[in-house]
Amino acid sequence: MKVHINRELCQGHGRCYALAPEVYDCDDDGYGIERFTDVPKQLEDNARRGANNCPEDAITIEES
Amino acid sequence: MSDNEAKTETGNQGLSDADPADVDGSPDALAMMGDPAMAACPQLMYKAMRDADPVTNVDLGEISMTMVWRHEDVIEVLRNPEVYSSREEAVEIGQKRPLIPLQIDPPDHAKFRKILDPLFSPKKVALLEDRTRALAADLIEKVVDDGTCNFDKAIAEPLPSTVFLELLGLPLERAAEFIALKDGIIRPQATADKTDTDVRDETGARIYEVLEAVVAERVENPQDDFLSGFLSSEVDGHRLTPDDVVDIGYLFFLAGLDTVTASLDCMISFLAQNPEQRQQLVDDPSRVNAVIEELLRFETPVTGVPRITSRDTELGGCPIKAGTTIMVMLGSANTDEEFWDGGDDVDFDREVNKHLAFGGGLHRCLGSHLARMELRVVLEEWHRRVPNYSIADGVELNYSAGLRQIDNLQLVW
Repeated sequence: MKVHINRELCQGHGRCYALAPEVYDCDDDGYGIERFTDVPKQLEDNARRGANNCPEDAITIEES
Repeated sequence: MSDNEAKTETGNQGLSDADPADVDGSPDALAMMGDPAMAACPQLMYKAMRDADPVTNVDLGEISMTMVWRHEDVIEVLRNPEVYSSREEAVEIGQKRPLIPLQIDPPDHAKFRKILDPLFSPKKVALLEDRTRALAADLIEKVVDDGTCNFDKAIAEPLPSTVFLELLGLPLERAAEFIALKDGIIRPQATADKTDTDVRDETGARIYEVLEAVVAERVENPQDDFLSGFLSSEVDGHRLTPDDVVDIGYLFFLAGLDTVTASLDCMISFLAQNPEQRQQLVDDPSRVNAVIEELLRFETPVTGVPRITSRDTELGGCPIKAGTTIMVMLGSANTDEEFWDGGDDVDFDREVNKHLAFGGGLHRCLGSHLARMELRVVLEEWHRRVPNYSIADGVELNYSAGLRQIDNLQLVW
């Protein structure tokens, strides 16, 4: 699984890194960043949870 | 948005007490917004409007505007700032220049956010948590043995005001004066010889005087506070002028002194009237973040945000002319059953919650991380000491429309 945050769309709501800190971190301005592009198997649900809760639909998940 | 006469029955946390159909067969947004029961349970009004007239033209005499109720249309407005501008004509709040960054459109908006975002990031906000917790504990300890308090006056108003004035470097002993000034903008009380707009403009002029004096003083004697920090910050060669700092301060004055107060009132009111759901939080305090996000969604304390169209356009099939004021009804988007599973149910286990309580698009609330921290700290400190409480008998809760503060939130425990 791959995860990608579109920096143009992300507005820094912070839902992804609040709900799935194992997969998403925040930068110094409070915007989301991916901790990895290839999500480890055991964190796939966390990655989906963060993406599903993004109010800007800024996170895409590519299922492998 | 200035109606402050709303009164409602308490003890009615179902959505049953208010009936939108009472307001004359076809729903009338204005009549409903003036209806006290609707201020307490606006979710009913939202649904009635989405079903009957989801892009609503209303004529308020002095101004007319278009209200947008469906989630889909709300998203369309928030994500298209080139059509739906935030420039200062979108709303009259006593300002003489655009408030920064609220009333700035791209591309300048990004310059200001680049300076301001890091100051309000989760990492910076975390540094304020201990101090906020001590303040909250202090306020709660003052009333805990009384068995009753007006939560709005005892906790919800003083806590965020104190945090904010300390942050900005404004003198705490003038808190009451500042709170009265922000109320003069947000809830102006018209008198025999003054309209709401007159009261707003006069209040606005006083806010400018206060801020201009403080900023001039900080130019001479920088302190360890936000205003001094703004004056010395620079991004991409761009520096803030003293006027810029005043225009930021004006916005913070309104946003920082009111929104967390309204949010705390709405949340405690809900939990007071829904003991089973309150018990879920008391039994497992680690659920506090889920409780906050779900109540932000359901209650949406800031019910709407304004925009103004920069060209002729169309929304939800309705033509809209350039220069039309748009009221984006966040609370309605947050409960739209077309988008949400069980949007009218409060469910702390909700798996997907992409609420728009902080707005959306590039004007997403700058203070959202600070607000969340304050809400969490108060809910934790309160329920640790007062796990069981209810609304005092005979109190009719007085929710203000627009920004949903409850000035008579009398609790007993």
